Amino acid sequence: MRSPGSLKQEFLKKWIMGLQRCSSSKNSMSVLDRKKAIKLSADIAMASARKGTTCWSRALIASASKGASDKHLVEQILGPESERLILMKKFSTGALVCSKRIRSKKILKRSCGIRRTRKCAPQAALASSIAKRLVRKRTQVLKRLIPGGEFMNEVSLIEETLDYIISLRAQVDVMRSLASASELMNHN
Amino acid sequence: MEPEAGTTETRSNGTTSDGDEAVALESLQFTDEIHRLISAPSTDNASSFTALLELPAPQAVELLHSPESATLIAAPAPNVEDIKDSFHFPSNTGLIERAARFSVFAGDSINNNNKTGSPETTSNNSSANPQKEVKSEPAETESSQPLVSDPTVEKRSMKRKDREKKVKGSTKKSKTAANESSEDAEKLPYVHVRARRGQATDSHSLAERARREKINARMKLLQELVPGCNKISGTALVLDEIINHVQSLQRQVEFLSMRLAAVNPRIDFNLDSIFTAESGSLMDGNFPSMVMPLMWPEVQVNGNRQQYQQQWHFDAIQQPIWGREEMCNNYITPENSLLSYDSSTNSATLHSNQVKMEL
Repeated sequence: MRSPGSLKQEFLKKWIMGLQRCSSSKNSMSVLDRKKAIKLSADIAMASARKGTTCWSRALIASASKGASDKHLVEQILGPESERLILMKKFSTGALVCSKRIRSKKILKRSCGIRRTRKCAPQAALASSIAKRLVRKRTQVLKRLIPGGEFMNEVSLIEETLDYIISLRAQVDVMRSLASASELMNHN
Repeated sequence: MEPEAGTTETRSNGTTSDGDEAVALESLQFTDEIHRLISAPSTDNASSFTALLELPAPQAVELLHSPESATLIAAPAPNVEDIKDSFHFPSNTGLIERAARFSVFAGDSINNNNKTGSPETTSNNSSANPQKEVKSEPAETESSQPLVSDPTVEKRSMKRKDREKKVKGSTKKSKTAANESSEDAEKLPYVHVRARRGQATDSHSLAERARREKINARMKLLQELVPGCNKISGTALVLDEIINHVQSLQRQVEFLSMRLAAVNPRIDFNLDSIFTAESGSLMDGNFPSMVMPLMWPEVQVNGNRQQYQQQWHFDAIQQPIWGREEMCNNYITPENSLLSYDSSTNSATLHSNQVKMEL
């Protein structure tokens, strides 16, 4: 069983590693640049803590690796390059397959929807259709929120959301404590 | 053996009342097996959701369903236990589907747990369908135990499965023949999945139902994870809450990274320096003071990543300084003290408290 403490520990380690690398490369950065670097390192560290087991982590790493400058950061945080390549491959193939699947599903839905007839009483149909529409809208929003969410079906989306929420919480906790510690240190 | 005799009999006569009685007898005989199953230990209902995440899907669904079913069914344990125990069997997709469906029926069948009475009544009454299904489900459940090792029966069960397609859902009327076939099928040590009337193909609809059950199970997990979702009913509202939660967490990350960027001119968060700053302000305590002098030499070194790897071990010793609020006499694994500090309580408040103590 994963303990939240070990997750935070791993995240912190990798995050500090990434931050160090960022700071060593550039000397003067604006606040926004710094913020971006911090956030990026944090995200990559969080994603790498999952070691490619979850879809959102792979998506996050893949999107971060797209930028040339960030690639090195990703490499460093992830460790051996082979791991990164593997993750990239996994995600890319998964994305291709998933997008195709999504497209074919859409075509099927459009073709089947024409033929579908409603058997229930009009009231029940109305209520259920409204509910379904609402749920569908929400799932679309959720898909946009979770990194790499557009490629998932509903079941995996919910699983990914679970994992993502846990990771985000750990990330927020560590960042908050570090921020408060640094602020206190500065004030003293 | 009784089960096989029963099956052959029912195969020939679809609609005789003999089948009813045979089924009643069968169900009575199964009680022993049911009790055996009940005694089988069930896996712990891990309350942590990360644990649930670690489990493979079927087991997670089991853990999800067992508290569910426990609350849904007030009456005899056998039904609940059967659900629990059914998941112990080798993960058979048919089993999972069936058990998943069971949870749907379980809600309908709170009042109808009488096994022996159901065969007679279900054939006539549509409202008794849940009864029959509840009764046959447990019987099927425990009869599926010898399932895996009984391939010879499979052929017969396949035919049974086809006939079972005609069994109606709880909301529709039922025909006697269909009832009979489904009841008799339970004697077979094979997993039967019933399809509702009006659904085109069995595989699609069954898969859809299993999928929906999976989704509902995960949604329950999410509900418990996100604070304040427990009282909300309805998928759309729960999803709303989840979306809000995720958005707020993401916004917090952004905000905190901005805060961190503002704190330092260079993004160089030296944990050592943080520790020294803090430990410098914490002057009391024998143990910490003993430890501190040892730490000073290490603390000077910073910026070098390799050094960092070694630092982690020393940080563990420094832990008592941080964990002073909770008495540090416990065996703390070489964790980062910053983390153990955070995870115990709200780090921000503790920080300020610690500093105030010194000043």
